[in-house]
Amino acid sequence: MADVYGLAAFAVLAVATLAGALGMLVARNVVHAAYSLLAVSVTSAGLFALLEARYIALVQLLVYAGAVAILNIFTIMITLRRREDAVRSRDFSLPGALLALTFFAVVVVAVLDGGIATRTDVLAFPGVIEFGERLFALDGWALPFEISSLILTAALVAAVWWTREGGER
Amino acid sequence: MSVGLNTYLVLAAALFAMGLYGAVSKKGAVQVLMSLELMAVAVSLNLIAFSRYVTPIEMTGQFFTVFVMVVSAAEIGLGLALVLAIFKSARSSEVDSLNELKG
Amino acid sequence: MNWVALIPLLPAAAFVVLLPLSRAMRARLLWLPVGAMATSCALSVAALARVWPGGKLEEPAWAISWVLGTVGGKSLSLGLALDPMAAVTLLVVTIVATCVQVYSLGYMHRDPREGWYFAVLSLFTAAMLALVLASDLLLTFAMWEMMGLCSYLLIGFWYESEGPRKASQKAFLTTRVGDLGFLVALFVIYANSGTFDLATVLQDAAGWAPGVAVAVSVGLLWAAMGKSAQLPLHVWLPDAMAGPTPASALIHAATMVAAGVFVVARTLPIFKHAPMVMDAMLWIGVATAIAGGLLACVQHDIKKVLAYSTISQLGLMFVALGVGSAVAGMLHLTTHAFFKSLLFLGAGVIIHAAHTQDMREMGGLARHLPVTTATFTVGSLALAGAFPLSGFFSKDEIVTVLLYDHQYAAVGAVLFASALTAFYVTRLWFRVFSGPEQSEELHEAHRSMLAPMGVLALITLGVGFLSPTFMEFLGYKGVWPKPTVALTTTVVAALGISIGWWFYGRRSVVVNTRAWKARLGYLYDSLVHKFYFDLTYDRLFVKGYFVAAEAASQFDAKVVDGAVNGAGTAWVATATGADRFDRGVIDGAVNGLATLARSCATLLRRVQTGRAQSYQRLVVGAVVLLMLILVVTRGA
Repeated sequence: MADVYGLAAFAVLAVATLAGALGMLVARNVVHAAYSLLAVSVTSAGLFALLEARYIALVQLLVYAGAVAILNIFTIMITLRRREDAVRSRDFSLPGALLALTFFAVVVVAVLDGGIATRTDVLAFPGVIEFGERLFALDGWALPFEISSLILTAALVAAVWWTREGGER
Repeated sequence: MSVGLNTYLVLAAALFAMGLYGAVSKKGAVQVLMSLELMAVAVSLNLIAFSRYVTPIEMTGQFFTVFVMVVSAAEIGLGLALVLAIFKSARSSEVDSLNELKG
Repeated sequence: MNWVALIPLLPAAAFVVLLPLSRAMRARLLWLPVGAMATSCALSVAALARVWPGGKLEEPAWAISWVLGTVGGKSLSLGLALDPMAAVTLLVVTIVATCVQVYSLGYMHRDPREGWYFAVLSLFTAAMLALVLASDLLLTFAMWEMMGLCSYLLIGFWYESEGPRKASQKAFLTTRVGDLGFLVALFVIYANSGTFDLATVLQDAAGWAPGVAVAVSVGLLWAAMGKSAQLPLHVWLPDAMAGPTPASALIHAATMVAAGVFVVARTLPIFKHAPMVMDAMLWIGVATAIAGGLLACVQHDIKKVLAYSTISQLGLMFVALGVGSAVAGMLHLTTHAFFKSLLFLGAGVIIHAAHTQDMREMGGLARHLPVTTATFTVGSLALAGAFPLSGFFSKDEIVTVLLYDHQYAAVGAVLFASALTAFYVTRLWFRVFSGPEQSEELHEAHRSMLAPMGVLALITLGVGFLSPTFMEFLGYKGVWPKPTVALTTTVVAALGISIGWWFYGRRSVVVNTRAWKARLGYLYDSLVHKFYFDLTYDRLFVKGYFVAAEAASQFDAKVVDGAVNGAGTAWVATATGADRFDRGVIDGAVNGLATLARSCATLLRRVQTGRAQSYQRLVVGAVVLLMLILVVTRGA
């Protein structure tokens, strides 16, 4: 039986993601661009879920769709003087386009050239609980996790310091 | 017919390419950051796809994605904070106007 | 018999002694040169006695030689030898020289440089005596040149004036032209015989190739023509009268001009191998005799008359040599020496008395200068060739040898010249001694000047009768002149004297010479201009020389200096070019490098845009490029 629902879901999500990304690029209004990014975040969360990465999907929604998008919008609002400034030109750049297209072509060629063995026999995928257990396991991913949290702390401190009253020094 | 690894990889590559384009061509600082975010998403998608199709049991890709997301979040936060700080002094968040290191 | 060497050495020593002294010192030592000369004269008498009775000798009576050195295997030697010809010439020269020196004591008495005069006179005589005694041609030539120098010094004795200066230069240069001939002859002789010894050369001459004898003869003849004032090298002798009169008496009567004749007479055997040259000599002598005679007829200066007369008489000597008769030439040389020097010394007295040299301003000296008149008359008659004076005998001898050689044309010419001689000497005599006095104080000379003149007059009276002895002494048959010849010459002389008397001697009639001059017209003009010899020489050689000198000077200024300047300019241009090269190329290269670095820097600096996105692009671009390469190579 063809996994028709899976296929359809993928198609819808994929198209939506691409549309959102495209929208982000071509949007004239920077606020619209921010909303497009939000859409991308949401649809990519869906793709994650489709790929049996339920925890990641949820975290994606929480972090990106929730916090990051909001941060984006807030920053835009703060850095706008007038309402009109939100609208600006599309900023087309040929070198950038060429670069992106070349990159895409190269990767596609590399991928389609094939050779990556896939496992198709597994039917049961680990769940969130298993993910969590492994994440905090000492012989698992605990150490990297702690280190990454340090990074986050440093970033937060830096961010606070940069935006304090008295300007940058 | 089912969606294979390659499909997801191509999709991720497309997203990444789009984010790349935005990063190198957008003039507004916030827009550049947003493009960087897009690239991060594409990377995460890549990793998850690999995790699902190559190491489904070990879930390696998923764990890696966690860290990617952490770093990405830190980066976004710090970046936006910087934009705000620069905006305060330069009264503009145009990337091109920040060229005092011009040689 | 080595005391013979003293004959030239004594006067030479006198010169050497006088040379370094001051004027005052020299003036006090005048007895030295005069004494030396008198001693030489005595020694000459002794030498003659030793050589007596002479004749053709196999070997010289005395000879001495020194080897100077050896060059490349060949030795160079100088030598003296005494043979009859030399002995007789020695006597003639020393007698005349002594008379002249004694005379000069009076004549040059008040001259400030009297001492130098006597010194040069001594040197001159020494040179002549050495030439006479020389047994090799090199010494002959050396003495020949020495006499040229002394002549220059004596003619230009009063160098304060321009006349003597120019005259001495002219004499020196003209005789120099002649000396080239001597030099060429010497070269040819040495090339063919390997020696300068006269005896050897004369023997070798028979074996020479035909052209060689001709070359040598021509060279010697040319030299003799210069020294003995033959046409066309005669031009210096009249001008040489600018020197002191006694010096002229010595140089231009007895010695220097005789040297040419003497050398030719000595080397006559060589000439005998070149008959054409002898013919040339004959006709040169003829031409000179006639030209000299003609020119003497139109001179107003008494000394110039005597000068041209000398030229004419020397021509006669060459005529004699031209037919191969050394003895006739030598005989006339001897008689001429005595009577001509006598005439010159007399002229000195006349000039001193009349205070002028121009005969037109003279007259009636006979009444006031008796001794001078007497001696001068003797000399004049001898010059005219009147019997029984010496000149008669020598002239007759010349005519005799000409007839013997069947040279009838030459005989006619000689007779014509003799007629001229008689004419002009008569003209001179009457102009000077007869007629009204034109000057107030006319007084006779001091006896120190008259004595030598008297001696010479006596010799002139007597020596003619010694001519056969003379000829035998020299090794030839001694003969008296033939009656026909004697008669002819006497008639000719009488003719000349009569014409002279007719023009200048008659008291009752004064001839209008101007009318005669007008009648002769063109001939007279050319005579006055000395046949235009001097004019031609001046235009051709003197002016030509100056043109050449100017051209050379221009060449030097333009070409040589131009080259030097050009080299300088080229050097400067090179330096400038090098400087430009240094500046342009080398500095340019260095600057260029700097500019290149700057351009590169400016170019590369554009990477540093300061904009984050451009750096981004670069980095991403590099990564994408690497990925591309990987994919492509893996695919390949």
